[in-house]
Amino acid sequence: MRRWAIVHFGMLLITLSAASGIAVAAPSDEPERPARRLVAPNSTARAFSRSEAAVVKLYGRGIGREHGYGTGTLVSADGQIVTVLSLLSARDGARVVLSDGRTMTATFVRKDEYRQLALLKIDIEDAPHVEFKDSTSLELGDVVFAMGNWFKVAEGREPVSINRGIFSMRTKLDARRLTQDFSYEGDVLLFDAMTSNPGAPGGPVLDIEGGCVGIVGRIVEASATNTRVNYAITSEEIRAFVGGEIAATAPANDAGDGEGRKEGYVGISISRLGFRHVSPYVERVRSGSPADKAGVLADDLVLAIDDARLRNANDYKDAIRRLRPGDKARFILKRGQRVMTVTIEVGEKP
Amino acid sequence: MMRRGIGILIVVALTGVGRADDATDPYALEVAKARVIRAAVQRIRPSLVTVETIGGAQPIAEGPEGVREEAFRLADGPTTGMIVSQDGLILTSSINFARNPTVITVTLDDGRQFVATLLGRDEIRRLALLRIPETGLKVADWAPGEDIAVGQYAIACGRGLMGDAPFASLGIVSAVGRRNGNAIQTDAKVSPINYGGPLIDIDGRVMGICVPMAGSGGALAGAEWYDSGIGFAICKEKYDFVSDRLAAGELIEQGKIGIVLEEDESAIRDFFERLLPKKEQAVRIRDVMPGSPATAVGLRKGDRILALDGQPVGDVPEMLRRLSDRAAGETITLTIKRRWRKFDVTLTLARMEDMGKIRGPENAGSDEGESDDGGVEPDSETGDSTTQPADE
Repeated sequence: MRRWAIVHFGMLLITLSAASGIAVAAPSDEPERPARRLVAPNSTARAFSRSEAAVVKLYGRGIGREHGYGTGTLVSADGQIVTVLSLLSARDGARVVLSDGRTMTATFVRKDEYRQLALLKIDIEDAPHVEFKDSTSLELGDVVFAMGNWFKVAEGREPVSINRGIFSMRTKLDARRLTQDFSYEGDVLLFDAMTSNPGAPGGPVLDIEGGCVGIVGRIVEASATNTRVNYAITSEEIRAFVGGEIAATAPANDAGDGEGRKEGYVGISISRLGFRHVSPYVERVRSGSPADKAGVLADDLVLAIDDARLRNANDYKDAIRRLRPGDKARFILKRGQRVMTVTIEVGEKP
Repeated sequence: MMRRGIGILIVVALTGVGRADDATDPYALEVAKARVIRAAVQRIRPSLVTVETIGGAQPIAEGPEGVREEAFRLADGPTTGMIVSQDGLILTSSINFARNPTVITVTLDDGRQFVATLLGRDEIRRLALLRIPETGLKVADWAPGEDIAVGQYAIACGRGLMGDAPFASLGIVSAVGRRNGNAIQTDAKVSPINYGGPLIDIDGRVMGICVPMAGSGGALAGAEWYDSGIGFAICKEKYDFVSDRLAAGELIEQGKIGIVLEEDESAIRDFFERLLPKKEQAVRIRDVMPGSPATAVGLRKGDRILALDGQPVGDVPEMLRRLSDRAAGETITLTIKRRWRKFDVTLTLARMEDMGKIRGPENAGSDEGESDDGGVEPDSETGDSTTQPADE
């Protein structure tokens, strides 16, 4: 009951802030201005009017948790559409609805499993499309806009929705901590506009001038924090994908299991007491091994390997599997009440 | 009427903005705003730390099927803390420590990493205080409480992600004095990334510490309301209120009285009271738990509670709300009406795990007892406690 009161109050505030955005230009001295002009001179309206025609609504059949709708971004005048890989983008026949209401059927061009992107094409000339802009131009606090058909609220000739937020940071998704199987290790853009909604992936993220700095990536849930991430794949990666470059699967993904690959060796055995959630304490260091040479001692706790934090002995095992002979691996250890870093030159299994 | 009032407010606010900036350039405001956000984050940055925990178990819950892992998953990714003393005290959110982690590490803005000791936890305000063995640290500046107004910009900062710079999300102050006056409410996105991190104003001053405070409460309330447009940050006043206890290593948890409340249904009996100019609103004690602070001061089934700490109680939900942030060990004064008599009792709230073990004067076997806690009136009545059922 009380919670609902708070929710309603929050919604009232949201409505108020939204209203203030629209009303920014409301001129008190020129009441005869046409309504359309009322919203023109603000950056949101400008980014919106420049790009809305380049964002399309996609429909197909949804199965289970996969939604039967999504968003696509027109990236060229000849009708190339970038979207995320999903059931409806993975084959021919997705229904494309343009912002002017025209309906077309897309043909499937190619997909990129690593980036989880799909390229579709519609038969069109002089299509409105976004202009890519270098995503490294973004700085903390810069305004960004995300567009998309979240929850498929836009229908027919209605344009998609726009959200505004600020750019927060450029980082990497910690793939090992995601519940889904998505091992993308490239940079992503984080912002505080909500995009982790059904239907949002595939929509463009625009900067203050309406330049496309990224495309909202597929929805991922971080299992470590139990939260969804609002992020975009950078324009550089999108451009590379549209240009025909398909990224290989992440190196981490095929690590360890490939045959004929040399396994890395450091010479540490970790104590495994048989419980779950065991912290990776060093039980024994083989004398003369790379770890021994680097000064690792029994009872050290391995906190991280190459900046990947280890939560338990299984994380340790995964991190070790990724190491190759010749690598210089940075081990962060806890010894007593001290945190220390040692560099281990990974060797070959004797 | 109401709506028109709001409309006028908006127009007034916006004309203000329009005049302050060059309205002919639609971008000037945005660009200036981005610059201000960067400067504010830059100012708080040296006081932000990354907190990581290693080890510890998923909390267990006891259910009808026995003991098992709590179905609700807790956040345990890296999160944020803020330096509150130059000699190593770090304030963060208690949500990170529900697993009783084996190791806590703190990484400073300059990259130096330390093993931290967990001092105290406040499960009511979801705060925790850590200490690292280092001095000369940059302490964050707080914004004075009276400077914080609804509608002003608020930036939630976090260091729970890999990257060179802190994470920031922008919003406004949605309300002040939320949750019994403990928290500032914001629509800036607040999630496990910035729990424990500060909510700052555009001058980079701290308005509060972001914590998870979902509606259901409970020590394990997690991230249900993350990124929902409803975020909470504990204000300075309330941190100051518990800071000494936290530094002393105390676990601050909700205090219990040991009574079950019900609405006062004596309206019919009090029919004539209603004819009188001042009717006393009250809640009634439906049940008293043995071995609780309530029995220790002689509260009885059927007693009516008129006031809590001198303030009249409205109804049961209001009473519970006001008790919700009172910790074990804190004392409260209840104004009781028993039949025609009115008296005050002062009692010390107990921890949940001590319930049933609290020894009061009647257990000590003496009416006068060692108790000097103000429960004089009921003390003299303890001999009657066996006649309690008849008291209805």
